[in-house]
Amino acid sequence: MKGPPQYGALCRTPTKTISSMQTRLIELTNRLGLHARACVKVVRVASRFRSEVCLIWNGRRASARSMMAVMLLAAGVGATIRLETSGPDEAEAMTAMVQLISGQFGERQ
Amino acid sequence: MSFVLHGIGVSNGIAIGRAQLVSHATLEVAHYSITPEQVAGETERFAQALQSVQRELETLHGAMTSGDAPAEFGAFLDVHWMILTDPTLHEIPKRTIAEQLCNAEWALTQQLGVLMEQFETIEDPYFRERKADVVHVVERVLKVLMGKPGPVRPATAEDHTILVAHDLSPADVIQFKNHDFAAFLTDLGGVTSHTAIVARSLNVPAVVATHNARTLIRENEMLIVDGGRNVVIVNPDRSVLTEYRLKQEELELEWQKLRRLRTTPATTLDACKIELMANIELPEDLEQTMENGANGVGLFRTEFLFLNRDGLPSEDEQFEAYRTVAAGMKGQPVTVRTFDLGADKHKEGLDGLSRVAPNPALGLRAVRFCLAEPRLFLTQLRAILRASPYGKVKILLPMLSSVSEIEQALALIAQAKDSLREQKIKFDTGIEVGGMIEIPAAVLSLAAFASRLDFLSIGTNDLIQYTLAVDRADDAVAHLYDALHPAVIKLLALAISTSNKAGVPVAVCGEMAGEARFTRLLLGMGLTNFSMHPAHLLTVKQRVLTSDVGEARGFVERMRRSDEPAKLIALLGKLNA
Repeated sequence: MKGPPQYGALCRTPTKTISSMQTRLIELTNRLGLHARACVKVVRVASRFRSEVCLIWNGRRASARSMMAVMLLAAGVGATIRLETSGPDEAEAMTAMVQLISGQFGERQ
Repeated sequence: MSFVLHGIGVSNGIAIGRAQLVSHATLEVAHYSITPEQVAGETERFAQALQSVQRELETLHGAMTSGDAPAEFGAFLDVHWMILTDPTLHEIPKRTIAEQLCNAEWALTQQLGVLMEQFETIEDPYFRERKADVVHVVERVLKVLMGKPGPVRPATAEDHTILVAHDLSPADVIQFKNHDFAAFLTDLGGVTSHTAIVARSLNVPAVVATHNARTLIRENEMLIVDGGRNVVIVNPDRSVLTEYRLKQEELELEWQKLRRLRTTPATTLDACKIELMANIELPEDLEQTMENGANGVGLFRTEFLFLNRDGLPSEDEQFEAYRTVAAGMKGQPVTVRTFDLGADKHKEGLDGLSRVAPNPALGLRAVRFCLAEPRLFLTQLRAILRASPYGKVKILLPMLSSVSEIEQALALIAQAKDSLREQKIKFDTGIEVGGMIEIPAAVLSLAAFASRLDFLSIGTNDLIQYTLAVDRADDAVAHLYDALHPAVIKLLALAISTSNKAGVPVAVCGEMAGEARFTRLLLGMGLTNFSMHPAHLLTVKQRVLTSDVGEARGFVERMRRSDEPAKLIALLGKLNA
């Protein structure tokens, strides 16, 4: 049975009415990119905030709160992903996400 | 419309009932419809299964992070926990239950399929392989779901349920042991495939290799399964149904007659005493063993103890299982065969076992695998030894091909004994150790085996497979599998006569031992110990009671000398007349 793509992508594309939205491009520099354990960390960090956190790469859009969606993004090392945060604490969410990714998910390289 | 499907009957008897289909998913999952009123209950059942797995993971996580387990384990559990709590697995199946009015297992399996398709589109093999984690999590949930009773299916008192599947793994069949299926039908499989062996132990009719039963038969259709005639009649008309119900009663009557032989000693017309033993897979099989008056357990297949589970069974857990059987047989012998893992009993998910061997039947299996994994082997040996004071326990080593394997295995048994002595744990110091004869090489150098072992047991299924180079599970060549092949007859006769000459007890524990048409053939070869499915004990006993070993010996001598299949069939016909 082929259904519509039932992603964990419960991440809404922000409409124009949202005045502020943080976006940023960031490169994955850790050894394996968004591998399973890095995904866990992404979901953990994103879930701390009330804002919507989205990762966009290769034409796919994933809610950072969905493990499945982040895993399915399949972004490897060297991928430049687009981060979007929107909501009451979007600035803090962006800072935390950038810190996580640029800090190479706390992995020893 | 009524139609007939042909397959291979792997267990005699007739069953009449309604079809229950099982899906093609990796884990065979039943699909059935529910009523709108049942949606809430089914959704709740699903939610509870998710919760139960979540707790399971959390407990595991707690146990691991508190101990000295490597951090990798904890991280691995984090991944699974997050997959489990993802809305794609939490919410979408619930919606499917309500929209499609189907059971929770089916809804979840469908969603797994959707996710798998998405993973398949990923180019990077590393990321694509993460689907294994999703499958693992879903299987955990399915196991919980299937362990709980689903909504009651509409059925009238006389309507039995017949399971129709594309294929069933031995693990699946064991799981179905707890259900009351009247018969099994599968598209794949062969007469001696392990699925068939397990189905037979349930003592229900089964027809395998039907090729497309799963696609042609619809849910809840009326079926007649005639295991003895290798046919399945779908939607039979009234007259056929009546005739089959009559036949069913006749069989039942015959069975009742056989049951009177339960306590009769198995002695031939010329006063040879024959031992009839049972092959079992689970401690629960003891009941059937006793009911059919077995003289002991000739083969306790231990590998089934750790199918349907994650990880290895612990020493204590194994000990409990062996002890139950040893004590349950009340002093009658119990022959415990060490793990025969590999080949078609392939256990997935066990580290080190998950690699796909290019030719599993010729690969690292049975005693080879145990010798390569001495820790696993020693754990089992210790458990068997610990159970030995509770009855008459023997150890049986599967698939020996050379003397060096026997010596290595004996050294490990000695090591297990030493470790128990050090801990002052009791065991039977005189425990007998025997070997399976199932490779032609073993038959042709049998004297060396006989001088190192206390007893021998001939596994005819593998002996035939290895002699004829026929994969018994491969539908395309299964018809070439022939117990009456001249080479097989010669090897069997040689193995039995060499053992008898060496004074080493020998048994046959393969399928041939349980087939009444081979009873006289084996008696004529000099066999006095047969081990078979408990369901066949009485039929074989009936044959023993009417046989004359001296007369059979004459026929067998002529059969041994012939290379003509037609002549062998004719001689066997006369022998059985």
